Amino acid sequence: MTDRSESDRLQKENWFQRTVRRPEIGAFIVMMIIIVALAMASGGKAFNALGLKNNVAIIAQLGIIATGAALLMIAGEFDLSIGPMIAFAGMSIAIMLKWGLPFGLGEATPFLAFLITLLMTLAFGWLIGTIVVKSGLSSFIVTLAFWFFLRGLTEVCFRLINQNTNVSGLPDFKKESWFAEQMGGEVFGWFFDAWYWVGTKFSAGLEFTADMTKSEKIELINYLSFLNINRKMEQWVTGFDARLLWFIIIAGAAWYVLARTQLGSWIYATGDNKESARANGVPVNRVKVGLFMFSAFCATIFATCQVLDTNSSDAAKGMFKELEAIAIAVVGGILMTGGFGTIVGVVFGAITFGLVANAVFFIPWIDGAWFRVFVGTVLLLAVFANERIRKRITGGI
Amino acid sequence: MASKSYMRVENVVKKFGPFTALDDVDLDIAPGEVHALLGDNGAGKSTLIKILSGVHQPTSGSIYVDDKKIFFRNPRDAAAAGIGTVYQDLAINQLMSVTRNFFMGRELTSTFGVLRMDEMDKIAHEEMKKIGIDFSDPSQAVGTMSGGQRQTLAIARAIYFGAKVLILDEPTSALGQKQQMEVLKTIKRVRARGDIAIIFITHNEIHSKLIADRYTFLALGKVIGAGTKKELAGEDIRRLMAGGAEMADLEQELSAI
Repeated sequence: MTDRSESDRLQKENWFQRTVRRPEIGAFIVMMIIIVALAMASGGKAFNALGLKNNVAIIAQLGIIATGAALLMIAGEFDLSIGPMIAFAGMSIAIMLKWGLPFGLGEATPFLAFLITLLMTLAFGWLIGTIVVKSGLSSFIVTLAFWFFLRGLTEVCFRLINQNTNVSGLPDFKKESWFAEQMGGEVFGWFFDAWYWVGTKFSAGLEFTADMTKSEKIELINYLSFLNINRKMEQWVTGFDARLLWFIIIAGAAWYVLARTQLGSWIYATGDNKESARANGVPVNRVKVGLFMFSAFCATIFATCQVLDTNSSDAAKGMFKELEAIAIAVVGGILMTGGFGTIVGVVFGAITFGLVANAVFFIPWIDGAWFRVFVGTVLLLAVFANERIRKRITGGI
Repeated sequence: MASKSYMRVENVVKKFGPFTALDDVDLDIAPGEVHALLGDNGAGKSTLIKILSGVHQPTSGSIYVDDKKIFFRNPRDAAAAGIGTVYQDLAINQLMSVTRNFFMGRELTSTFGVLRMDEMDKIAHEEMKKIGIDFSDPSQAVGTMSGGQRQTLAIARAIYFGAKVLILDEPTSALGQKQQMEVLKTIKRVRARGDIAIIFITHNEIHSKLIADRYTFLALGKVIGAGTKKELAGEDIRRLMAGGAEMADLEQELSAI
């Protein structure tokens, strides 16, 4: 007899091999390619002060809902009602801000409008989740039903209360409401302050003079835009959109829960094999219902940021967002069958999608519709890659 | 084997609508004993273990644990009474790590549900080593383990979480020859502890002869024979395994085709 045991058959891997085999590696490589390609094609403009702010805004926006969708997918369910939930929440907040609280309870503050809306969306999330777990129906069909239901309900409410499917020109609440500033205002001003401070060191002595040609002026403006300085030689960009803060909070919390807590273990167990999870005492149904509510929460945060940023809302908000959220989760390495994936991958996916969605603003010669061509291609490749990972882990079953 | 029984099943009947799955079944389980539960497909073995593990509730009859009559409303009740069931699918999640599987649903946590991962890794490693396998990496996905190792993981887990009665649902049926023997060795090691009763469900006459101390045979929902190894001669076991039909009859029937 030899001393060989079963465990010897598992090859020991060093740090590099482990890193290369991590499930996020595909998403990371795609992200790096996009960052480099975008920087080159836009002549760097995508990452000057304003470019970075705008890119981060859309990355954060997509990342918030993708995190909710990803957790739910890890637990083995889909939520197609994210987009309509965004529209519903946006409608609810905007209408309360314009027409006051329901039942004539007086003026609505942004925080009250948010809170009441959140109660409603969480209730919808609970209802969707409960229907899915009690009926045993596919979440695809249940949330598809809610897609129509909520889209319709949003438009009906708009017409009944507002006589019009959009609310615009709301007063800017950000000055008076701390809450509104945290949702729709700017955060991390210090980052751009520091950028500007460094920029002034490099721009010393530069100025626009009357004898400059047009092309010389454009060149100077371009140069200054990388120093966070505008053409009046003042600070150009003052902060990131507040969404970034929410993205960091939500993705950070989701990462921590998945990687380090009991709830995280339960989420993985639920998505991997719910029967065996249940046999071991994991409260599978509560996990699922909770995650449908979390997805609704993420959609509500998305909508609140949007309304308080733009001071408007309309019935078409959140269009296609559920599909984008699912696509980001898949590109980030979340298995369609559940039970596997990390939030780090989802963050890479959100960065990739955000940059590509915005690319048209930085590369004028590109047709914006290429975005969807790209999404379709990458999505398909990601599904193949994920399937390979799953087979490797499960031994080809 | 005159040890005192830990669990007793008396006159258990289970009906699913008009269908009688179990009819008047008795069972006696003692610590340090391997009790083989044999019977053909559809004999009611699965229904019986589902009742013992709290998945189904009996239509009538009683279950005693430590001479106390108890009623399992759900699997949690049964687990609390020391009934650990290792199902055929093992209730193991392939994509999750060994440690996460070991503690699934019963994770060790500090405040706010934060996992005590290092401690869990250590316990999982030690408990599995005790009954026979030494795996190198607790963060290894279970999907990469062999069938025998998975079986060991499931058994070690049930014991660690306080199983006094270990129910093994056909633990050898889906394995290759060598791994079957490993599982039988594991069962022997658990038996040697002396404080755990094992219910071993199988189709395999040879396996049951190798490790069982006591037998109960089920056919069409009824107990058609029971006794210790000594009481039942080898020929008897084979006859009872075939659901009570005489082997001679079977041979005749086969040759008539």
